[in-house]
Amino acid sequence: MPQVRQFGRVNGRGLYTLVLRGLRRHLGLWLDSMAGPAVSNLLYLVVLVLARDVALGPIWPDATGRGLDAASFVAPGLVAFAFCHAAFESMAVHLVHDKQEGMIQDLLSAPLTAAETLAGWVLGAVAAGLASGSVVLLAFLPFVDWPVLDPLPLVVFALLGTLIFALLGVLVGLWARKWDHYAAAETFLMLPLGLLSGTFFLRQDLPPLGRDLLFANPVFHIIDGFRSGLLGRSDGDPLFSVVLLVVLSLVLALVAWRLLLRGWHLKP
Amino acid sequence: MPSPSYLPPAPLAPRHIGRLNGRGLWTLYVKEVRRFLNVATQTLLAPMVTTLLFLAVFTLALGGQRMAAGGVDYAAFLAPGLMVMAMMQNSFANTSSSIVIAKVQGNIVDVLMPPLSAFELTTGIVGGGVTRGLLVGIAVWLGQLPFVGLHIHAPLAILFYAVMTVLMLSLLGLLGGIWSEKFDHMAAVTNFVITPLSFLSGTFYSLDRLPPNLQIIAHANPFFYMIDGVRYGFLGHADASLWVGAAVLLGVNGGLFLLAWTLIGRGWHLKA
Repeated sequence: MPQVRQFGRVNGRGLYTLVLRGLRRHLGLWLDSMAGPAVSNLLYLVVLVLARDVALGPIWPDATGRGLDAASFVAPGLVAFAFCHAAFESMAVHLVHDKQEGMIQDLLSAPLTAAETLAGWVLGAVAAGLASGSVVLLAFLPFVDWPVLDPLPLVVFALLGTLIFALLGVLVGLWARKWDHYAAAETFLMLPLGLLSGTFFLRQDLPPLGRDLLFANPVFHIIDGFRSGLLGRSDGDPLFSVVLLVVLSLVLALVAWRLLLRGWHLKP
Repeated sequence: MPSPSYLPPAPLAPRHIGRLNGRGLWTLYVKEVRRFLNVATQTLLAPMVTTLLFLAVFTLALGGQRMAAGGVDYAAFLAPGLMVMAMMQNSFANTSSSIVIAKVQGNIVDVLMPPLSAFELTTGIVGGGVTRGLLVGIAVWLGQLPFVGLHIHAPLAILFYAVMTVLMLSLLGLLGGIWSEKFDHMAAVTNFVITPLSFLSGTFYSLDRLPPNLQIIAHANPFFYMIDGVRYGFLGHADASLWVGAAVLLGVNGGLFLLAWTLIGRGWHLKA
């Protein structure tokens, strides 16, 4: 006679199952989700290095005129956004897919609270983002010359970046009723956030208004954190960036939780 | 007295089709065009926004430099290439997604059943991709106008190379779509074939930047001739011979068309 499974305040096994499901779905499509970003980011790197005139000189030169080559300067930004983008994509695509195919019912009828569902989704997407981002980081290693490799800022900013973008993925996934909506979010939200983030150019090269706007882009802070971990120097104060990103993730988590609790765009 | 509307309709006469099923071909073409116009935000506006972002970012990062060849500034060098890249990606996406979605959802039979020959099928589907590519090209060009001072040097060259570009990518998309059994296969073709070929085609840099042995490889990439030709049409300067480019593109397009025609005729990966 099977027993009714008891669980306490948190449905641990349910949460664990949901996290594992998110990660497995991501890893199952490894060609698209892991190898794809590695190839496209390497292409960005190659193209940028070839396009940059050597006459422009090194970036951030010191007193002796020695600085960073273009690849080493750009790569931290590409890696940082690869982490973020993978987490976002994994989360939003799977959520839209579940909604489109009606599988979302299986999740909504499972004994999981809104907080557990959100945590399960987000942790799965964070794991997915960490997996894909690490592949990009490793793919870059033979081609770049990073002066330092400091794990602490890398881990902190990779976690914060994937967390924020997994939460954005939840919001976009909840909002999107069709694939077109998701595609619109990719083009009109993710692409500008990623490209106008200071990966490719220095903040000091922008006009004053551009500098302020750049500062308001969370991706800039994530990238800057990666720079402090890989280049040993950053544009802003990493500690301030951490505080800002933590506050942002709390706000996003709160919004996502409230929407999930109400069943926004999920329940009729 | 029953009104005339109660009378049974006159029996339908069979429609006679000549050597070419003109109405069928036109219907297929219109279906392919409506398919992308329905989601114009995604198919026309999105490429324009993407291109403008790339233009902004690369100009910010590299705007200080002038191109050795042709002596133009970097934005003017980059803009025609970005336009061609957007046309490539969208032509390819149009034909490939059309076939793969129809195969996955099973409604490919609705395209295979009607009295359309393999030639008509190929032409109709490719026509849709060509139209989307050209419309994207116009949208991107209009979007770039306020930011880059591009004057048209040789309009016929632009038209010729643009048509060759969208034709080749529509054919490649058709072939990729026929080959793919799932969306994953299509994504792999896009990620590992089309994106590398278009990124490494000389959009972002002049090929004389490359070491000599890599230059030979780069010249073997047909995508290079598309970008070089269209860029000549705007700037009046080409990296390679325009006639060689035209010959390569005509040859490749002819070959791809014959291949697609044959494969569709045999029903390869389409019919059980």
